[in-house]
Order: sequence, then C-alpha cells, then structure tokens
Amino acid sequence: MSHPILLVAAREFRQIAATRSFWITLLIIPFALAIGPIASHFMEKSQTETVMLIDHSGVASAAIRDKLQLDEQRRQLMALSRYVESHDLDRADRQAPWAQHDRYYTDADVRAFVAGGGVAHAKRVIGRAAPPGTKPFEAPDPDFRIVATPPDIASAGRAELARSLPKLIDPPHKDHDAQPLDYAVYVPPDFESGRTPVQIWSDGQPPASLMGALQDTLTRAMRLRFLEAQGLSPATADAAGQIAPLIAVNRPPQGKGQERVVIQSILPLLVSYLLLMSLMLSGSWMLQGTVEERSNKLIETVLACISPDELMYGKLVGTVAVGLTMVAFWVGCAVAAAFASQGMIADFLRPALAPLADPKVALAMVYYFLAGYLMISMIFLTIGAMSDSFRDAQSYLSPVMLVIAMPFAIIAQAVLRDPSSLGVRIMSWIPIYTPFTMLARLGAGVPTWEVIGCGVTLALFVAIEVVLLARVFRASLLGAGSKPNLARIARLMRGRERE
Amino acid sequence: MTALLLDRVTKDFGDKRAVDDLSFAVRDGEVFGFLGGNGAGKTTSLRMVLDIVRPTAGRIEILGGPPGREKSSELGFLPEERGLYRTMTALDTIAYFGRLKGMSKGDARREGRALLDRFGLGGSAHMKIEKLSKGMAQKVQLATAVVNHPRLLILDEPFSGLDPVNQGLLEDEIKRLSHQGSTIVFSTHVMQHAERLCDRLLLLADGRKVFEGTQDEARATLPARLSLVSRAPPAGLPGVIEAIEQGGEGDWREWEVRLVPGGDPGDLLQACTEQGFALRRFEQRRPSLHDVFIHLVGGEGAQA
Repeated sequence: MSHPILLVAAREFRQIAATRSFWITLLIIPFALAIGPIASHFMEKSQTETVMLIDHSGVASAAIRDKLQLDEQRRQLMALSRYVESHDLDRADRQAPWAQHDRYYTDADVRAFVAGGGVAHAKRVIGRAAPPGTKPFEAPDPDFRIVATPPDIASAGRAELARSLPKLIDPPHKDHDAQPLDYAVYVPPDFESGRTPVQIWSDGQPPASLMGALQDTLTRAMRLRFLEAQGLSPATADAAGQIAPLIAVNRPPQGKGQERVVIQSILPLLVSYLLLMSLMLSGSWMLQGTVEERSNKLIETVLACISPDELMYGKLVGTVAVGLTMVAFWVGCAVAAAFASQGMIADFLRPALAPLADPKVALAMVYYFLAGYLMISMIFLTIGAMSDSFRDAQSYLSPVMLVIAMPFAIIAQAVLRDPSSLGVRIMSWIPIYTPFTMLARLGAGVPTWEVIGCGVTLALFVAIEVVLLARVFRASLLGAGSKPNLARIARLMRGRERE
Repeated sequence: MTALLLDRVTKDFGDKRAVDDLSFAVRDGEVFGFLGGNGAGKTTSLRMVLDIVRPTAGRIEILGGPPGREKSSELGFLPEERGLYRTMTALDTIAYFGRLKGMSKGDARREGRALLDRFGLGGSAHMKIEKLSKGMAQKVQLATAVVNHPRLLILDEPFSGLDPVNQGLLEDEIKRLSHQGSTIVFSTHVMQHAERLCDRLLLLADGRKVFEGTQDEARATLPARLSLVSRAPPAGLPGVIEAIEQGGEGDWREWEVRLVPGGDPGDLLQACTEQGFALRRFEQRRPSLHDVFIHLVGGEGAQA
C-alpha cells in the first residue's frame, strides 16, 4: 500500500503528463535548440563587409589595401594564438608567433607570419602536434573585402560620386543574392594637403577598425611627405613611419578571468532560468488541477479519504516531480547533444560544467533548486485552493508572477556584469529571489558563509511560508463564493479564522 | 454496538450556529435517515463525522473511536456535490479512491471492475469520465464510495440529481450493503426515500434535533386519523378529539376522526364494539413521514 501523499503525487504527475501542453513544452526547448543552429545557418549573413576604394591620389589605394590585409592577418594570428593556448599546442613550435600569447603582434610580426606561410602553414605545423580528435582551427571570417571599382566610378568626380555611391550603398531595389556595398572611400588627389577631405559613404557608423586603418595609412603618407619636405631622405622618412613600441599583454588564459566568470555563470544562469520556466509551467498545471478539484466539487470526496495536509503535500511532491522531470529531460538532451556534436557545444559545456566539479557547489545548486520549487509551488497551490475558476486564479496569479519573474532579467545581467556586486548580494538575501540569484551566482563562486546563510534564511522562510499558506489552503478548500481578499488571507494565515 | 455517536455536538461558523447541541446514536447495521430541510445542518454534521470540519464543542465517536483519516478504510462517503477527475478513466477513478482508502492496487482494480460490471458499465471501464454521460458518471461516483466495502456508508443527499433509474440502482445498493451488514447513514429531504429505506431516522431543524426514532415512533407523534362511516356522530367516543362530517347516504354518515396524540385506533374499535356503536367502515389512515416532517419541522424544505 502506498502512502496517500505518494498516491496524490502520482495522480498529479500522471494528470499533468497526460496533457498535450506538457509534451509540447517538454519537446519544444530541445527542438528549438536543435533547429536554431540549422535556421541560423540558412539565415546567417556574411560578417565580411565590402569596401570600395576610389583613389584619385594614385598612392593611397595600395597602402589602404595593404593595411587592411595586414590587420586581417593580425586578427587571424591572434585567433590562432587563442586556439593554440586553449588546446595546449604550444609544443608544436614554441618559437612561432602563435605560441607567444602575451604580446600584441606588431606589423613586423604579422609580415613575418605571412611570409612564413600564414594560417595554412601554421595549421599544418599544429596539426602534427595535435592529438587525434582535436577540433581543427577555423579561421574567422575577414572583417573586410575590397571590391573592384567599376571604371565609371573610378573616373567620376566628387559630385558625381555623391550622386551614384549612395545608390550602391543602399540600393532602391534589393537584390537578395548580391551583397550590397557597405563602404565606399574616396581619396581626393590632394588629400596630402589636408585641405580636401577624404570622403566615406556608409549606411551607418563606420567601424573603428576601418577608420583606424584609413587614419593610420593616410596619416603615415602625409607624415612621410612632410618629413621628406623637411629634408629627410625617403628611406629615413619611411623608417620614422615604421617606428612602433613593443606592447606586452598580460591577460588570463582563455576561459579564465572575466571570460571564466561569464562561461561558468552560464550554466547556473541557465539552471536558474529553467527553474523559473519549469516552475511557471508546472505551477500553472497544478493550479489548474486544484481549481478543477474545487470547481468539479470533488474536493469533499477526496477529503473524506485523506487529510488536507496529505492532499497539499501530495500535490507539492507531484509538481516538483513534474518540474524535475522536465529539467532532467532538458539537461539529458543537452548532454546528448554535447556527446553527439563533440564540437562547439562540447567546447562550451566543458568550462560551463566546471562549477559542478565541486560537490559543494553541485549540492548547493540542487538545494536552491528544490527550495525554490517548493517555495513558489506552495504559492501556486494556495492560489488554486482559493479559486473557483482559472479566471479567479489569474487575478491572484498576475501580481505574483510579476513580483517573481520581473527581476530575473535584472539578476541575470547583474550577475554577468559582476556576480559579487552589492545589488546582487542584497537580492540573494531576499528569500523569494534567493534561489534564482544564488543559482545564478554559484558558478562565479560565492563565499561559503553566504551560501549557508542564504540557504538557512531560505529554509526558514519556506518553513514559515508552508505553515502560513497551509492554513489558507486548508481553510479555502471547501470555501465557495467570493474570493478572499488580502485582509481575509492575512486572518487565515494567523489562524484567526477557521473552517 | 454503536457505529456512530454524536454527543452534544455544536458547530459555529463565525456568528452563525450551524449545528446546535446535537446528540444521536446510530446502531451497527442500521439504515439511518438524517432528515431536514435545506440549511438544517445535515451536511455540516456529516462533514464533522468525516473529520472534514471540526466541531466547536461536543464529542463524536465513529466505529468505536474519534473521527480521523485512519477510519477511511472502513468508510464510504458520497457527497451531495459530486464530481470526478474528468481526464481519468472510470476504472482508474474507482481504483484511485480505493487506494486512498488503503486498498492494494490489485484489490482496488478488481473491486472496481466488479462494481462497473454490476452497474452495467463494464464496457466503459477505460473511458474517460468526460466522455461518460451524467448518469454513468453518477454510477462511477457511487462505486468510488463503496469500493472498499465500507462498514459505515455515509450518503449526503444521495438521490439529488439522480434520474429514476439511478435512484433505483442506489436504493438497491443501499439495501444490498445493509443486508451485508454495513451501517448506512444518509441525509435527505425527500421523505419517500426515507420511508422506503430507513430503520430509524433523525429530524433536524435549524441545527437542532427535533426527533430521533423509528418510523412508527415518528408517526406516533401525529394524532391518528380515521375514516368512519356510522349512523351516530363518533365525537363522544373515548379518545376522539375531533370528528368532522364528510357527507354520506341515507342514515349513514362519513366522518373524519382525529384521536388524541398517542391514541390507539384499536382501543376505539374495541369501545365501539362494547358500546354497540354501529359501523359500516373503520379505516385507519396512517400519517406519512411527510406529514410528520411538516408537523415537527414546518412546511419549509419538505418534498413529498
């Protein structure tokens, strides 16, 4: 024979699991996660932007092209360095620039890298040292691509360009197959005089990288001309333009520092979000069940067999079981996807799962998840017991949902920005936000005293909540007619009004 | 042995007294009628017996102990306001309530099937409640109440809302359980059902007991009524308090006669014989429970 609490819990679970909405909700998240990358693959727009150069000076075009290509190679070299560092592949060639992670690569470094075969050569060298199964390096898309300048535009004057180029940048008739022109740069013949401006046509704010490249290249040309005018030989003037400091960069390795905070906060934040979402869903299903029991007049039949407390705890256990099943299924899907893909998801999951390696953190996450579930489910259950219809329930539910769910976005942002900020710490001590905030913070590390202190405060709050709301639940079960107002709910909580 | 005992039980809801100093006892194996008009306190009394609400004062003893869920394995209850889980099947519903009353899963399902077969619903065992007709759902509800072969079956207005077929089915089920030894307490304000089923009954008005006893004892609270056809007026005969002429043919007159409360019509017949009082008809008219109800409680709430 089973305990009545388990019988009620099993019935609640079966009733919810028999609904279409449960299965849709259960499957929609993995489906969305699976379909997302596929959809984005088809919808993805190339990140590379196009640049057209109209050079009437005759000297700037080659220099700008060279500078953009140099910057692009620097970006590739930096990405390669991060890859080598994160896969611990320095041993492939410790003298190679991509094995030196603590410096900013100068133009000379980049030229040497390109001269040595660039990314293609580096991949071959690294590939020999990489263990089998290592994900190969994928070079990022280039930021810019210089497109050929049509002859009629190349020979057009500034006024003519001012009429024709905006139509190329923002064509009146969109051709979905053709990539529109993103930037057009006009260098006038006398730009070195500084009197005639270099003109840029763009559909928005030009990126700092493009502006930096133009500024650097054209400034260097003007300074060269100036130094030559001052009597320096062209070679000396050019050498002066090449002078650059060596810059060492001291940063934590990939996956550490602020990056670590963000990555390791993602899983706890996700758990926190799953808690919120599964709570809202299973809570509303349970609420529907309780409302049904009241509106179908079967509560009296049930109460003749079991006590109101057994009914209440049975419903709570059933709802928590539904929520945990949903979360377990979603987590199972994520793990299966990670094992199946072995790629980007696995690379992401490994550092993201790092907090769980500490049993104390894992235990704390389970505790806060369950306590949060119990705390919010109890509120849903009481609302169900007070409501004759789902419409009745909505009038209680809306403000409760607002209070619970609204601050979540703020908590998530605040945690990613600074998980130990004063605001986040204060939220951790407000019991109705404790589970969400602590779950979100745990990945970035929370002092033990705070984990225990907030946990104990939450436990006390839940215990008091269960005692007070259980009184409302018991007194409301057989009540009918007008909805209890706040004053009456307070009286019921104090036990001043009995059935 | 006493199956149910209420001793000076009172229940207040705020300022309103729903049950007032109520005492009665139901013996083992009895079919006990709990009669009263709407708002007389019947449902509140039964809820106290089932420990769904607690009395403000007084003592309740059920099957030899205080009320509580530990008694649920020996109790059956059919509430006045009925409902079932719409998405559960008929068999699952009966088995669920059987298990809540402490039955094993196997026993609950086996007994559930047997009940459905007996109620003519064997083919609908796996249909969801929402797919059943109202009458079928009412049978399922009755099955949930009796699935555990209760020692004490409590029925709150069990006939309300039932069609005549299901009323007959319920009466048969009450008689069957009674023959098997169950004690049955049912509340009603329909006196015909009480007349057919009750061994003893209790009349409740405004939360107070106004009568407890057998049907004969209840009828005895009303003056006996006779219809006589005689030549002479019966007004002077012993025990007669009123004789109203109803017409007649020739010398013979028809009289509506009322005796003193508790007066025995047999005594009157004996007196007529001894005194040579000529009679062509002597017909005793037995008061109905409805008449008793009207007499003791007043006209409100009684249905003939």
